[in-house]
Amino acid sequence: MDNQEKLPPEAFDDVPRRHLSALLDTIVPASEDGTMLSAQEMDFPSYLLSQAADFLADLKRILVHFDDDFPDLPLAERVALVQTFAESDAQMFNALVFRVYDCYYQDDRVRTLIGARPGPPFPGGHVIIPGDLSSLETVKTRGKGYRR
Amino acid sequence: MNTSSNHDPVDVLIIGAGASGAAIAWNLTETRMRILCLEQGDWMTPSKYPTNSQNWEAQQFGAYHIDPNVRGLETDYPINNQDSPIDVLNFNGVGGSTIVYAAHFPRLHPSDFKVKTLDGVADDWPISYDDLDPYFLQNDRIMGVSGLAGDPMYPPKDLPLPPLPIGMVGEVVAKGFDRLGWHWWPSDAAILSQPYEGRDKCLNLNPCSSGCAQGAKSSTDITYWPQAIRSGVELRTRCRVREVTVNEHGMADGVIYYDADGHECFQKAEVVIMACNGVGTPRILLNSKSPQFPDGLANRSGLVGKNLMFHPVGVVRGIFEERLDTHKGPQGSCILSKEFYETDPDRDFVRGYNMQVARGAAGPLATAFQGFRTGDIPWGPGHHEKFHQRFDHTVNVLALCEDLPEECNRVTLDPDLVDSDGIPAPKITYRLSENSRKMLAHGLARGEEVMRAAGAKEIQKVDLLRSAGWHLLGTARMGNDPTRSVVNSWGRSHDVKNLFIVDGSIFVTGGGVNPTSTIQALALYIGDKIKENLANLFDD
Repeated sequence: MDNQEKLPPEAFDDVPRRHLSALLDTIVPASEDGTMLSAQEMDFPSYLLSQAADFLADLKRILVHFDDDFPDLPLAERVALVQTFAESDAQMFNALVFRVYDCYYQDDRVRTLIGARPGPPFPGGHVIIPGDLSSLETVKTRGKGYRR
Repeated sequence: MNTSSNHDPVDVLIIGAGASGAAIAWNLTETRMRILCLEQGDWMTPSKYPTNSQNWEAQQFGAYHIDPNVRGLETDYPINNQDSPIDVLNFNGVGGSTIVYAAHFPRLHPSDFKVKTLDGVADDWPISYDDLDPYFLQNDRIMGVSGLAGDPMYPPKDLPLPPLPIGMVGEVVAKGFDRLGWHWWPSDAAILSQPYEGRDKCLNLNPCSSGCAQGAKSSTDITYWPQAIRSGVELRTRCRVREVTVNEHGMADGVIYYDADGHECFQKAEVVIMACNGVGTPRILLNSKSPQFPDGLANRSGLVGKNLMFHPVGVVRGIFEERLDTHKGPQGSCILSKEFYETDPDRDFVRGYNMQVARGAAGPLATAFQGFRTGDIPWGPGHHEKFHQRFDHTVNVLALCEDLPEECNRVTLDPDLVDSDGIPAPKITYRLSENSRKMLAHGLARGEEVMRAAGAKEIQKVDLLRSAGWHLLGTARMGNDPTRSVVNSWGRSHDVKNLFIVDGSIFVTGGGVNPTSTIQALALYIGDKIKENLANLFDD
């Protein structure tokens, strides 16, 4: 059921890379202590071309909203500009945030940093503790709790 | 359009290959009748389920979304939910919604069959818990159900497999229940805790609602159907039924359906069994109009499509300081409480609800994006700090409430919306009753109480979950009075003696638990009744 169209690398040629990188870094900047990566460190072009090709045209339209000096602005000023865009087109901004988060949180470096297993869940799976069932003895002493 | 009829007639035609269609197909195989099932969707390919892929979470927002209107596959049909605060959820394919259910597998309680007698509301069922008891067990064995015997909230019952691990989530919330002196118990789950019947045990992948790549979750494509097909049942996919046709005697004589290429086909049958659940079944019946049945087939009572029941759900999210492995383990099956399940005259509502502890069903993308949408987790500076407080620290308690039948809550045919074959889509008209509102409020308050008792540092609430229309019940209710019900006590239409309904639409009341176990037990029960009455199946 995964019918996502895939695009060749040249489909990304006319995307302004510095603007994109700055936009990604604005939405998910590195953490202040430096442990968490910025979204600009992800391979967003490859992600988009292989998994979210239908968003490419929207991305280009979004980037048009940001002036030439956007990549050189400090983070706080970029945040203000992106917030203005978010308020002007909430639906498009929602889609953008979803794509940025999707790319970011499927990166194995990020997954390891947040304590999730790298790679897909299957076939490795997870181990969880059985859990303590001993207090059910008390629950049982309450007696029959159903009606007929 | 020309209707082709190049298939041999069959003895039994089942519409829908989900939970109930699979069970009754298997049940009837010993009759040696020629049995055919028509399914509008495809066979699933577990190697393509999202958990095989790096982008497994994003697929849950798209092609594997639980809402057919979002998923929008060719095999789906649209549903107009605009007049309902709850959206209908389902899946169309071999296995039906068991492909994407959480496999929480409780049975209805004995009192659920006698609400009029016990509580003076709605109607009693024409059958009892005891009538279904052997079929619950039979179904548990075929599906593969894990759980712990001894729950004082049920009559004694055996379960084929030991319970799933409750994990840190269950352990922590159970302490909350213990501190309050409330009932709790590990959930029964149609998920294998041990290898069983050639299938391997659960790997704790977590997102059960996008198909189980391990095959540990008991969807009917891997439980009933292989056995039924080996025994001679034919399952024809990509066949979307438009209507059940009748002969000059007012008996069902077959169905008109569209095949994968959109060709209109006719399939003749001696017996027709509806198994499309509480929205799909009334949709087809209402669309099956004829001079004998101008208001839709089997609808002389006027009740086809009426009395739609969901289970309204309120959610309490507890955020804990410690990591609780909430993204590991079967998402929907952990522990539950039936403390408030039975009617208590001291409360301001009748009947009750179960409190279901869910592990989270939230990987990192879902955590971050849902947090973004609710404003709880910011984008930009501050994102990481808040994300770390939420991911793997958030536990959900769901108050899943019994919904009493009301004729104003209904499924009709949308006058404009159609599926890809031009068949009218269902329209849902539904409102929450005052009783349900009070019950939800009670459940949310108790949910907060138990989360506080368990040690949650922060609480969030969803008063009514919109994406909660899993359980589709009551739209072709069973009963002994033909003026107040659509089918009799063994699923046979009062109006059309060779038409049966075996899915959730025949529920008289909905209980306060997930219904799949009871739906399947009912299908097996009806199958046995058909066999018992085979010699005079169509007699009054």
